[in-house]
Amino acid sequence: MKWLWAPLGAYFALPLVATAVMSLWQGRQGYGFHAYAELIHTPEMWNSLLLSARLAFETIVAGLAILVPAVFWMNLRVPRLRPVFDFVSVLPLVVPAISLVAGITAIYTGPDWFVGTANFLVVPYVLLALPYTYRALDVGMRALDLRTLTEAAQSLGASWPTMILRVLVPNLITALLGAALLTMTIVIGEFTFASILLFNTFAVYINHIGSTSATRAAALSLLAFLITWLAMLGVALGGRRAAR
Amino acid sequence: MSSLEAVSLHKVYGGRTVLADVSLSLGEGEFVSLLGPSGCGKTTLLRLVAGFERPDGGRVLLDGRDITGVPAAKRNLGMVFQAYSLFPNMTAEENVGFGLRVRGEATEARRKRAREMLELVGLGEHMHKYPHQLSGGQQQRVALGRALAIRPALLLLDEPLSALDARVRVQLRDEIRRIQREIGVAALFVTHDQEEALSISDRVAVMERGRIAQLGEPAAIYEEPTSLFVARFVGQMAEFDAEIDAGCVRIAGHTLPAARAAGHAPGERVHFFLRPEHVRLVAPTDGLPGVVESRTFNGPTTTFRITLAGAGTVLATVPTTEARHTPGETVGITWDPAAPRILKLDGPAPAQDA
Repeated sequence: MKWLWAPLGAYFALPLVATAVMSLWQGRQGYGFHAYAELIHTPEMWNSLLLSARLAFETIVAGLAILVPAVFWMNLRVPRLRPVFDFVSVLPLVVPAISLVAGITAIYTGPDWFVGTANFLVVPYVLLALPYTYRALDVGMRALDLRTLTEAAQSLGASWPTMILRVLVPNLITALLGAALLTMTIVIGEFTFASILLFNTFAVYINHIGSTSATRAAALSLLAFLITWLAMLGVALGGRRAAR
Repeated sequence: MSSLEAVSLHKVYGGRTVLADVSLSLGEGEFVSLLGPSGCGKTTLLRLVAGFERPDGGRVLLDGRDITGVPAAKRNLGMVFQAYSLFPNMTAEENVGFGLRVRGEATEARRKRAREMLELVGLGEHMHKYPHQLSGGQQQRVALGRALAIRPALLLLDEPLSALDARVRVQLRDEIRRIQREIGVAALFVTHDQEEALSISDRVAVMERGRIAQLGEPAAIYEEPTSLFVARFVGQMAEFDAEIDAGCVRIAGHTLPAARAAGHAPGERVHFFLRPEHVRLVAPTDGLPGVVESRTFNGPTTTFRITLAGAGTVLATVPTTEARHTPGETVGITWDPAAPRILKLDGPAPAQDA
């Protein structure tokens, strides 16, 4: 099976290498970091990256605030509802993004700061991240003896909020970290919603650059890849630390 | 004055009655065990007292105060669970101090109390270790210290020894009793292990299908079972169908001594129970004759299984130093007339042991 590694490696590495080479190409002046330098001095790039980062943060906070108590409650009190939770959690993977966005814009109304701004994207993003957040939390909670731990905390006088903050969350750190980093990668790379709803997020900006400057698009893609890859590394390292 | 009083507690799960009007009271500093097969309601009773479940009827009083409607977090009861109840993210010291931290006690006082408790359970030098660095027995000691740190009005123990090795189990059980005596807190202990219940309790409540079948001191439970269920559940007993015959009993055509036959009318059909340690082996002509089926070496004692002609089998446990018989040999069995228990035939229906 060793011979498989070469074509497999090439399959993954070649596009990256080609993109890297392309991002460094400067026409007649040969190769250099011109595209990167230009990007760094483009305010739109920073604005779109900051917007995506902010949306990622909001999505993580909103998603965890909803799912931690929900998954906790399901595991502790109504484990028979697990199939329902499992089913609902994969819906975002099944429903096409385009139907989601059409449905959401038709249904949601509200104050202008919410519906009229990029904050509105948090709603579909929480949904998109649901499968990953739910899985991570469920696996984390199943590894704990929730019933005994909560009863022990209760008998010692802890209220529900105290129990969640002092006992549950500290023991779920790895799961929470994993959920947060996966959510971040999804939000940073999400294109459909932002594009249709006309918000200039990082992914939308990459697309825009792609139609104007090939070398800068290549550089930006590598940058996005790096962010995603760092997030994945974070998940892996967090998992290893917890396993010890 | 009693510290805990459970008054006709009733609990139904999905149409099945798991506790049927159970009443129980614990004196101050008293250690009471709830003993029974699984499904008898002992754990449910403990959980009702702890506040993890609500009764469908009845009341729970603590030091005379009705706490039936009080949530578990406000009952101030110390509880030790079967296993894995320590908070994995906290050291032994932090675990023990958790209850005090929740109560808003100052850091110094909390640490001091935690250290005291860990010394008490013999883990003073392990206080900075995390649960996964401690053995099962050590974890249960920490759990005990944690339950006691909050100065509970009552200590609840839900099979705390069942996940431990036999040797650790015996050692820790004696230690739980020592510490409980030292602190003077009343304790309610759930177990399915009769040796455990008999060895550390002031009183034992044997439970059967949602009821307390018998409540009494360990010796009374063992020596004077009042129902067929208790007679069959606690310890080993040979059981025969017998008939009362003027101060004696008749079993398979033999008239045999039994002091307790005096309380029954002649001709009455009864159950006759005999413990293995009360059986004496004699010459075939001097007692009820039987054949030695097998011989089991237990260390200090040896147990013989003897088949009696027409009456079934009986176990006889004798000191190993006096165990001379071999399988196949015909022996006679006899006993002190005061030893056998006699129970009426129309006693409570026998329960299946789980």
